[in-house]
Amino acid sequence: MRSVKTTEQSRLSGIMSQRTERRGIHVDQSDLLCKKGCGYYGNAAWQGLCSKCWREEYQRVRQKQIQDDWALAEKLQREEEAAYASSHGAQTQSHAQSTAPHSVHVSLGPFSKFEEKKTNEKTRKVTTVKKFFSPSSRTAPKKETQEGKSSSPSISRHASFDTDQVSKDFVDFLKNLQKPGREIHKQCRAFIVNMSSKKDLSADELSECVQDFYQNMSDRLMGHFKGSSDSVEQVMDQVEKYIMSRLYKSVFCPETSDDENKDLVTQNRIRALHWVTIQMLCVSMDEEIPEVSENVVKAITDIIEMDSKRVPRDKLGCITRCSKHIFSAIRITMNEPASADDFLPALIYIVLKANPPRLQSNIQYITRFCNPSRLMTGEDGYYFTNLCCAAAFIEKLDAQSLNLSPEEFDRYMSGQASPRFNSSEGDWPHAGSAPDVTATNPVLAQLNHNLELLSGLSSKQERLMEAAQSLQADLLSWPESVQREVHGILEKYPLEIQSCTASAIDANNTDNDNLPPPLTPQVFAG
Amino acid sequence: MVPGGAQRRGDPPSRPVRTLRVKMVLLGSSAVGKSSLALRFSKDEFRSTSPTVGCAYLTRVVHLSDVTLRFEIWDTAGQERYHSVTPLYYRGAHAALLVYDISNRESFIRAQVWLKELEKQHIPGSTVVWLVGNKGDLAQDRRVSVQEGQVLATERGLSFTETSAMSGDQVVELLLAIELCDSAHRVYEGVGAQQEVLSEWRETPLVDLCRTHTFTPAASCCRVGP
Repeated sequence: MRSVKTTEQSRLSGIMSQRTERRGIHVDQSDLLCKKGCGYYGNAAWQGLCSKCWREEYQRVRQKQIQDDWALAEKLQREEEAAYASSHGAQTQSHAQSTAPHSVHVSLGPFSKFEEKKTNEKTRKVTTVKKFFSPSSRTAPKKETQEGKSSSPSISRHASFDTDQVSKDFVDFLKNLQKPGREIHKQCRAFIVNMSSKKDLSADELSECVQDFYQNMSDRLMGHFKGSSDSVEQVMDQVEKYIMSRLYKSVFCPETSDDENKDLVTQNRIRALHWVTIQMLCVSMDEEIPEVSENVVKAITDIIEMDSKRVPRDKLGCITRCSKHIFSAIRITMNEPASADDFLPALIYIVLKANPPRLQSNIQYITRFCNPSRLMTGEDGYYFTNLCCAAAFIEKLDAQSLNLSPEEFDRYMSGQASPRFNSSEGDWPHAGSAPDVTATNPVLAQLNHNLELLSGLSSKQERLMEAAQSLQADLLSWPESVQREVHGILEKYPLEIQSCTASAIDANNTDNDNLPPPLTPQVFAG
Repeated sequence: MVPGGAQRRGDPPSRPVRTLRVKMVLLGSSAVGKSSLALRFSKDEFRSTSPTVGCAYLTRVVHLSDVTLRFEIWDTAGQERYHSVTPLYYRGAHAALLVYDISNRESFIRAQVWLKELEKQHIPGSTVVWLVGNKGDLAQDRRVSVQEGQVLATERGLSFTETSAMSGDQVVELLLAIELCDSAHRVYEGVGAQQEVLSEWRETPLVDLCRTHTFTPAASCCRVGP
């Protein structure tokens, strides 16, 4: 049955596709049929499958997902249990009590996952609409709290491989802290659960929540470590890493802020400033030196890499590495250690050259969610401050800050002129009027060369067109002349039909005479 | 799982070493010798002979009787064009050194501009501001008299010193004076010094360092459109 249908279909669609091809729209046969090759028509809404195959496929994927989730849930549970058991062998009683609700959460996870996605979408839509009408959207999450709590383990299990790794590391780290380690872990988990129910808060409010948590945590740790700030910092770093790698997705560039717009503005701004040269910024780096340009490339790579990190401290690490490369570059160029007078312009230059993705979002994210002690003091804090300065400078950058006249600046910004060839007269040189300019600038020389080639090409094309037209005329006149000739010949030698006389077959054979005489029978005596 | 790790990580130091971080910002026009001064502070060198790559951020640890001070010296870009962004540097600073070159009148005038800027941001009592006339070794080319510096400092309630980063004259004295001053402010005043510094971090507003125009939630509402 099916096979008949397919052949029919294919013939039909063969005709169709031929027709459509002639019309210029190409619909491939395979686009119409089920991707599984069962022969029924597929549907884009079912990812190109037919209804039957889609049902099967969907069931299979879902089953697999559920199984995966179970496996992951079990794994995490085992880890947690192991962590608690090893760090806290003595208090197994309370341990069992405390993990019991966990395991409930975990086993709830897989089932609530789909639900949660849906509610996510729902609440997002609702709240964005709501924002128009209600002055505070903070009332919304209340009814959600219950849901949020039960679904949170699955949030934390959005769970790419690295988040698992992070939580594993965190558990490992806390094991060494004995009793307080468990307490810290509990607090962090509770905090993440709590945060997941606060999706609608503004970025600043989110930041406040996280910072309050840091503050409380570090106060408590300070009490525990009796004022040893190094140990506290060590723990706080781990806490930050754990929490922020989990919260990253929901709090980086949140919908409630206009970070994204700012990113775009900054990106466009940097693009518009592509013409700024190293000399205008008075950067003391000589990119002609291979080592220097190597360092510049590394610095650019590092600052771009910042966007790929999740934890604020890792992002800071990228900035610091970038800065170190800049320092090396300056040191190689000048042969003495760089001061801030050299460093800031160089950093600005690197940022302009790199145009790091989501620069503003990253700066905001670090400012909001990094442990504040890292930002106000310390080496990382210093370089971060410099990056903020660079970003602010680029935002405000004007003619004066590049030692240009406002007219020049405007011309460069609008793309009418480029500072590369001359700064005194901004107009484009008219053709042929500036041989000296072209001599000095290889790009212009190349440009002129290309223009010449182009004009040569166009004249060749013209000649070709002429030739083609004359050929066409020739071709058109040729049959006429042939016809004329034929007519002439026909007139000259009119066709005479001679009467045809019947003759023997061999009549025309003139060679007959040359043939030997036919053999005659001979009789031999005897 | 790793038995060694427990020892290393979880071992709290037996004696309570209080390490206080002191953030010190160097302000002033370019070429007044901020970096040289910073280098003197941290390494007691004039030209760096060690393989330091940069001397924009330097540290110096000073041990006092019951506390360790970790000076973090933040050098700033002195060029005029970066003036508008410098406030980002001295936010949360414990000490600010306003440096000028005694052989350069212009730098002294610029120092007063810096001072005005600093006073706008400055919360009295939180930052120790020190006026420093550098390049004391160039006395023969002096364009700014000691009295002028002294008068300016007294007018604005600052401390004042003349130093020479090249000869190292008065540099150590300056650092010690800041230590004492700083100590007086932070260490011996409160009950728990560490807590105090921490609370100071807490007090620093969590507004982002880099925003030029303030963010209001209302503004973000307007952004959300169809």
